[in-house]
Amino acid sequence: MADILQIKNVSKTYDADGDNPVHALDGVDLNIAEGEFVSIIGPSGCGKSTLFNIIGGLIDDHDGEVLIDGREVDGAHKDVGVVFQEESTFPWRSTLDNVAFPLEVEGIDKAEREETARKFIQLVGLEGFENHFPAQLSGGMKQRTAVARTLAYEPRIMLMDEPFGALDEQTRMLLGDKMLEIWAALNQTMLLITHNITEAVQLSDRVVVMSYRPGIIKEIIPVDLPRPRTSEVIATPEFGTYVGKLWTLLREEASRGMAEAEASIAAR
Amino acid sequence: MAQAGVIKGTVPAAGSVERSMDGRISRIRLFTCIGLVAVWEIIATLGSYGILYNDVVPHIWNIVIAVGYELISASFYRDLGMTFAAHSVGFICGSAIAVAVGIWLGTNKLIREAMLPYLNAIGSTPKIIFLPIIFLMFGVGLESKMAKGALSAFFPVVFTTTLGMMLINPVLIRVGRTFNLNKWQMITKIYMPAMVNPVITGFRLGVAITIIGVLVAELKFSDGGLGYRLGIYYEQFEIAPMYAVILLIFALAAAANTGMTKLQDRVNRHMAPTTSKGKKARASASGGLGVVN
Repeated sequence: MADILQIKNVSKTYDADGDNPVHALDGVDLNIAEGEFVSIIGPSGCGKSTLFNIIGGLIDDHDGEVLIDGREVDGAHKDVGVVFQEESTFPWRSTLDNVAFPLEVEGIDKAEREETARKFIQLVGLEGFENHFPAQLSGGMKQRTAVARTLAYEPRIMLMDEPFGALDEQTRMLLGDKMLEIWAALNQTMLLITHNITEAVQLSDRVVVMSYRPGIIKEIIPVDLPRPRTSEVIATPEFGTYVGKLWTLLREEASRGMAEAEASIAAR
Repeated sequence: MAQAGVIKGTVPAAGSVERSMDGRISRIRLFTCIGLVAVWEIIATLGSYGILYNDVVPHIWNIVIAVGYELISASFYRDLGMTFAAHSVGFICGSAIAVAVGIWLGTNKLIREAMLPYLNAIGSTPKIIFLPIIFLMFGVGLESKMAKGALSAFFPVVFTTTLGMMLINPVLIRVGRTFNLNKWQMITKIYMPAMVNPVITGFRLGVAITIIGVLVAELKFSDGGLGYRLGIYYEQFEIAPMYAVILLIFALAAAANTGMTKLQDRVNRHMAPTTSKGKKARASASGGLGVVN
């Protein structure tokens, strides 16, 4: 399949002219095929959030290019739907109104946008909670509301920054299964930023391993586990092999990151 | 409920525990009320024999009769009308300016950092010290009460609005950007709904503090209003009517506060878990603002 997203030689330095420039990303090249599920994994401080913000159009002043279907992306883009790590549902809106939000903004009439919203609420498994407000929902339900809201925007690429990072391990495994169901149903390109190795292997076709600062792509591991896949795949020896391989790659980066973080605290 | 729990051999449901707690709370309140009335009547009886606080503490029935007289007197309603006018005009003007200033301070960090020390200083000063200036500028009439009301209303509203503006969850703004909201949509669909709660909190505090501000001005120097009425009765040593006016003001202020609290709960009904009835959120919102009237 053709590449839907091309990241070409993307670099980003924060505070470039200041005293403490931070090289967050350094020459990142990555192509994502249409319909592919790719995870980007790396230690804290590897620039994965920066990459997320660049692809999502929230950071504009970077070097290199981000192309969708060969055209350069400038600012937030209709083809890229974003799900944030933090709770991002609107507390004053019901689940239905939250999910219908992007359609409301586009001026789609009420009946039509609610119909679309209900479809995606069902897809993320929240039917029956249409009229609940975020304060009445669990953390996992709130994140699924946010996923449904972004799906309702009908982007071609779903870009997610640790959407289930704040949830407990078991909930996250089950929501991983849910994401795979959604992915299979919609044939959507999925790009997941994570620091969770099992989550990356459970879900992805390829796992992109990033290095600690400056963030470069250290290696890309194709995950050759059978599809359709469920979280039960973690019981297989092949799964363990992938997890071990990724940890070997990440261990050095993570310990370098930890040492630098501790040194900077000591220097304060 | 509790019995059914015992028969089934299970722990009583949380609801029934809460209800028995509620029952005890209302009993304590009732006994407090009865106790206060009893102490009051003892002091009043001692007073009528000239033993303690002679004539200062009238019998409760005398106060009740005085309340009745107030409620059928035309001049009471004239004073009530004046206080109401001063309060509503003062509150509306003061809080409208405060919302505008609060939004400005909330979005403009430079101005906020520059102005906050002044606002904090004036906000935590008793506004009563400005009364002479207000009387000099606006005279003895209704205008000075309106001005005092506006001054009182301004501070709680400006603080809650500024804080509310600063504390808008930044991820919601990022959500707006990723869905390509234009500036107008950002304001109407994200900033405004996010601001409703803190602004209402400010209004609730503002309404209460404006009542105090207006009454203080009326007591000090005026030609009408409930504070003026209270002062006149005091000066003429008409003790029972004085207590009647105090009671009526108390009832009106309590009613206003209850009304605002209901409004706030209505607005907040989705924001906090319904079990706590929004009490926690309100307590934390009104605490630590350092607003002194």
